[in-house]
Amino acid sequence: MASLVAVDNKKHLNTKVDLNKVEHHGANLPLIPVVLAEFIHLAVQYPIVLTKNGDTGQFVFSAMLGFEENENLFWQQAQWQGLYVPLQIRRQPFFVETSDAKHHNELAVCLNTDSPAISEEIGQALFDEKGDESSYFKTVKANLTQLLLGEKENKVLIATLTSMALIKPMSLDITFMNQSATKLAGLYTIDEVKLAALNNEQVLSLHQSGLLSAIHTMMISLGQIHTLIDLKNKSLS
Amino acid sequence: MNKLTKKVVVVGGGIAGWLTAGRLAAKHKSNTEQGLTVVLVESPNIPAIGVGEGTWPTMRSTLSALGISETDFIRECDASFKQGAKFAKWVDGSEDDFYYHPLVLPQGFSQGDLAAHWLAKQGQAGTKSFSEDVCFQESVCENGLAPKTIRTPEFAAVANYAYHLDSVKFSVFLQKHCTEKLGVTHIIDNVTGVNSAPNGDISSVSTENNADITGDLFVDCTGFSSLLLGQHYQVPFKSCSDVLFIDTALAVQVPYDDADSPIASHTVSTGQEAGWIWDIGLQHRRGVGYVYSSKYSSEEQAREVLAKYVGDKFSSLTVRKIPIVSGHREKMWQNNCVAVGLSAGFLEPLEASALVMVELSAQMISEQLPQSRDIMDIAAKRFNETFLYRWEKIIDFLKLHYILSKRTDNAFWTDNRNPESIPESLKEAMALWQYRAPADHDFTSNNEVFPAASYQYVLYGMGFKSDYSQNTYALDNIDFAQHQFAQNKKLTDKAVSTLPKNRELINKIIEFGFNRI
Repeated sequence: MASLVAVDNKKHLNTKVDLNKVEHHGANLPLIPVVLAEFIHLAVQYPIVLTKNGDTGQFVFSAMLGFEENENLFWQQAQWQGLYVPLQIRRQPFFVETSDAKHHNELAVCLNTDSPAISEEIGQALFDEKGDESSYFKTVKANLTQLLLGEKENKVLIATLTSMALIKPMSLDITFMNQSATKLAGLYTIDEVKLAALNNEQVLSLHQSGLLSAIHTMMISLGQIHTLIDLKNKSLS
Repeated sequence: MNKLTKKVVVVGGGIAGWLTAGRLAAKHKSNTEQGLTVVLVESPNIPAIGVGEGTWPTMRSTLSALGISETDFIRECDASFKQGAKFAKWVDGSEDDFYYHPLVLPQGFSQGDLAAHWLAKQGQAGTKSFSEDVCFQESVCENGLAPKTIRTPEFAAVANYAYHLDSVKFSVFLQKHCTEKLGVTHIIDNVTGVNSAPNGDISSVSTENNADITGDLFVDCTGFSSLLLGQHYQVPFKSCSDVLFIDTALAVQVPYDDADSPIASHTVSTGQEAGWIWDIGLQHRRGVGYVYSSKYSSEEQAREVLAKYVGDKFSSLTVRKIPIVSGHREKMWQNNCVAVGLSAGFLEPLEASALVMVELSAQMISEQLPQSRDIMDIAAKRFNETFLYRWEKIIDFLKLHYILSKRTDNAFWTDNRNPESIPESLKEAMALWQYRAPADHDFTSNNEVFPAASYQYVLYGMGFKSDYSQNTYALDNIDFAQHQFAQNKKLTDKAVSTLPKNRELINKIIEFGFNRI
């Protein structure tokens, strides 16, 4: 279990974060939750799919990075090889305490003190000697804000997809170069047939709310499954 | 005279009335201009009977056919999951006497018969009860687990399931859905008379405050009073009290100790001196009732039995006494009138057959609704054949539970094993099963209610032994059997380690809801 501590400029005056180790948080993740604003960056390399949160059963958007448990095919030679690193990774090892945010409309930024990226020696400082926030920490906060807002946008898109019945289960049977096969379950995507069957009014509302481009980005991003298969085959050869 | 069927009048609300009206309206597009007109007239004064809190898995397809969301249903009807029934103290009445009739088929059932192999390994170390050895669902129930997870789509299952529900809330829920979504017209009024056409059909029913309500088909959902079929048409009632002795129920609603108390995900039926007690877990309370035969127990004795089962809380509870008249009408469909629910018949709720008979009736009426009067008699004849067969088969299956008991503590149990009280059809089947397990070929009608698997669960759960000594080659496929037993063990471990507690899943459904896919 991660131990989360609220960040303050006295306790963490000397705390530093090693950016090289931040990306390590994603080393074993085949699926990483993403927000709508990232879709366009993600689609260049990763398939964007829907999965269900194990705890709530509700849909979440995820970038797909591997085919099996603990596999991130973009993590090679102890480094992130992808062009774009999802916000969920970049904001590590920081979290937002949302229960407080609800009441005070203010973000309480917490630090995961178990993170290997944290030390007092190597990396970016959170505060300067005077206790003012460093530009690095400001970026972290901006990332966290973007994630929080993104969660809201995600909810709107998912509610729209659900109400228009535009989500369908994805079935993937893949045989890799070494003839090993995998059958992926629990992934969902856009139902193109139902999307094509929407009436003018529905399409217009999707377009005006800006969701139509996100839907298309998701559909296009599925082509990146081949990128993943390529990476997998390379790792097998 | 060839009158088209354009308007159906359902007399009586309650679950039977609303399910029938709903299925008709959904199938025949009552919410469109060209669709069938469905009117439901119900009395403002008749309280719902409020029994029938257990369903079959068929309820999932029924709700789905009505266009109901499972999440809404569970939230609004105090519903929880039911994965079959646990029968306690039915064999000898001892404390560790129990077996399960789960809803999942025995492992590998479609590929081969495990029963012979299970019988052959009696006495071997590691052999468990039939239901535990061949079906993973018993362990799921014993551990208080739900049949699915919050990620499983609406109406889909990890382990086959039905529901426990609050029948009064369900009735209100159905009414709202039928009137708001499906286009059923709701009239609240007392029916004061039945008016005949020259051909003997019902032309209309008279009401206190509205004009006569005309219709082409009338559905009698008036409960035990059987206003149309019984009273108007005088279709005789066929009692089966010579086979099934139960004639009274004492029912109570038992609150949980606290809001987080576990909810059993199966019905518990516990044998008592002159009958048995049902125990059904809903979200906010349990429904508990003692059904007994007044010939073998006074009401006072029965209250004591129920009080002992319920415990300390009993003194603060209201006990409702409900008479049970076991049997059914000799016909369910006469002229242009068909009875659904208690007006057609009722049997003790041992296998939750009341609601499933309503569902099956509503389904057949809606799917085979005769387009016009000239073919209605054919539809009626087929409906009657189908449902008379079903009533007889349910009676056989209920009786099976009694004839396999070895209890001797009361004449209720010993008299139940008197051959004169056993239907011929059941005697014949029992004769065949002396030498082999119940199999699909024993149940060849499209109208079967209980499949061979159900008979196996009860027979071998209650200690019946089919004698395979003359055809030991039935055991030749030992590899198959061992594989299936091992597979069941694997499925059991997986289910027990991955399924959530029943209460936990209910809470998540209330908070988040299921997805449709």
